Amino acid sequence: MFRKTGSLLLALSLTLGLAACGSNNDKSNESSASPSSSASATTPASESAQASESTEPVKLRIYAQYAGEDSELPYDYAVAELKKEMPNIELELDIQAQDDGQKLKTYAATGNLPDIFQAGQDIISTFKESGNILQLDQYVDSTGFRDAILPSTQNTLVSDDGHTYAFPYAGNEMILLFYNKEIFEQYGVAVPTTFDEWKTAVDTFNKNKITPLSVFAKEKWPDVALFDIFATRFDEGGVLKLDKGQAKASDENYRKAAEKLSEFVKAGLLAKGATSMNYDQAAAMFYQGKAAMFLNGQWEIDAATKAMGDKVAWMYYPAADAASVETSKLTFSGGGGPGGYAVSAHTKNPELTAKVAAFLSRKYAEYKYTQYGTPIVATKVDKPIEKAYPPMMEELSKAIPNMKTTAFAWGLSNPRFKAAIEDASQALLAGSSVDQFVKAVDKALEK
Amino acid sequence: MNKFMGNRLAIALFVLPAMLLYSVVVFWPVVQTFYRSMFDWDGLSAGTFIGLDNFKELFQDDLFWLSVKNGLIFAAVIAVFQIGVGSLLAFGVAEAHIKGRKWLRISYFIPVVLSVTVVCQLWIAVYNGDNGLLNKLFEFLGLSYRQDWLSDPKVAIYAIAAVNAWQFMGYHFALLYAGVKSIPPAFHEAAKIDGASKFRAHLMITIPLMRETYRFCLIFAITGGLNAFAQMFIMSGGGPGTSTYTLTYLMYRSAFRINEFGYGSASATILVIECLLVTLLINRLVARERIIY
Repeated sequence: MFRKTGSLLLALSLTLGLAACGSNNDKSNESSASPSSSASATTPASESAQASESTEPVKLRIYAQYAGEDSELPYDYAVAELKKEMPNIELELDIQAQDDGQKLKTYAATGNLPDIFQAGQDIISTFKESGNILQLDQYVDSTGFRDAILPSTQNTLVSDDGHTYAFPYAGNEMILLFYNKEIFEQYGVAVPTTFDEWKTAVDTFNKNKITPLSVFAKEKWPDVALFDIFATRFDEGGVLKLDKGQAKASDENYRKAAEKLSEFVKAGLLAKGATSMNYDQAAAMFYQGKAAMFLNGQWEIDAATKAMGDKVAWMYYPAADAASVETSKLTFSGGGGPGGYAVSAHTKNPELTAKVAAFLSRKYAEYKYTQYGTPIVATKVDKPIEKAYPPMMEELSKAIPNMKTTAFAWGLSNPRFKAAIEDASQALLAGSSVDQFVKAVDKALEK
Repeated sequence: MNKFMGNRLAIALFVLPAMLLYSVVVFWPVVQTFYRSMFDWDGLSAGTFIGLDNFKELFQDDLFWLSVKNGLIFAAVIAVFQIGVGSLLAFGVAEAHIKGRKWLRISYFIPVVLSVTVVCQLWIAVYNGDNGLLNKLFEFLGLSYRQDWLSDPKVAIYAIAAVNAWQFMGYHFALLYAGVKSIPPAFHEAAKIDGASKFRAHLMITIPLMRETYRFCLIFAITGGLNAFAQMFIMSGGGPGTSTYTLTYLMYRSAFRINEFGYGSASATILVIECLLVTLLINRLVARERIIY
């Protein structure tokens, strides 16, 4: 009798459990996997147009980066401007987590996606497939965003499939090699223009117990950037060409780049334990004069200027040989890709939400351009610059018009390749062989 | 009969909530993981059924075998350290003439209650290649054994396993200490009268009588090692390169970094099977008979 009752209870509990989860799953599949639902969401309803004109209070959830003054100040400015332009809109900020998009993907999987969210290449690709992101083509025109985008940043607006899924605010950023002018002068080292000169500089610094290059290689994207610096000296396509499947790591130029990087690592280019060093440690090493060079994006210019004044500058990447100095100097690692403020396909009022997202993007860029000392924005700004550019940015702005860029690791579109090259580049910096690097990257590109 | 039935109903009612909870929180996700491992699925879309293709690919993936190897290394390091040192400390603290026994018991257990993140940050500082405590210690002792603990692909997995071993040794110590204390003193008194040394008494009496506790500790240590994730996530990000990947980390990478939830589920399935096999094997080989004293 007991056995029967027990079996009955077990069956009941499992049935209830399965039923509960099963129905939930069906719902989530329905909401996330149905292209028709996203298609219908892309068509603005007539009432939405009315709502956008109305002054009825509208609350929108936004999932955005808000950590440190680099993102907090432009966001606050954009929100304040929005309050003036559309006082009926209230934004409820959900601060973006640094978690490879896990939280956002969980929101999407549970049908709880915020109305506006910051999206990069990875999120756009994933959400496009699952019908969670609104296609913004018509709103790019209706909000005047297309006219505002700079000719040099068209790549940040349009995805590979020719459509727009986010309103970009950042332009094509790039990796810079910062150097300590005082240390270079002290040890009689000239700013290197070729790999040979760079190698001599590395040897000189090592002899004098100065770390040649400080990299926060615990994070994997700077490792990819360092490989990309070498790769672009041999093939201007750099990692972007690999990402698009137009080249393989076993191709001569990429193998040569990996071999050269490996040679530099063995010569002591990096600090001991660089692959377990975070940003704070690597930056402190450079700012305290223990390292001669520092690798980071151009966004470091502000902090570097504050910390070192005119003792710091950036250099063009050394070329493979003297003959290619001029031809390769304007090819930089980094670059932009489709991304910015995106709109959920499930937002109640697509037109209004898209309008708000476009407005926020433009104002975000406006703040960066006028008050944060960066010309690297996606849209035209017709207001005067309030904060003068630091000398390094001034210098950089002269190079930008003719600059070619590749991609940051986070802007790579093939996630399997992205993960593989991140791991393989870090392993290369930790001393693993070029063959292992080539094998790991090529394997990821095979699929 | 009514009373009998009434009790059965009461038992069933009391068991039902826990059983429901277990089914929904444990059983169903495990079933889902098995099921999803047969899909090419990005975690959001509907997914395509591909049978056992994920498993075929997994078995041909170097990263999978590296992850399995690292899991076994991790499990071995923590099992040896936690159970070995835990036993020695438990035997020591159980001695009546040891002073400050209460203080020692608390001290050994303190790392267990600390946050894993805090402990990892502490050890990141200890392992620092230039100014870390460990290298400084070697320097102080005049030994030229300075290492790039977390940046050397060959050393990193041992260094990370040591952190887990250190933190959770106290847990095993507590279990083993309880086991030692539950052995009736008469056995040791008899051994003492027969002239057995402390070492021999522990070897011949304490350890054999604690077989069930050891079995329990072994299962915890080994499955804990195979499941390791937090330490490598915080301390090395799976690196340098992929040198500290475990199956759990591979699952994380597949699901969250490259959006291949099906492939991630396949590695999770292997992990579940691996842990079940280990548990089964330990149950078969260690303390097969119930010890009553």
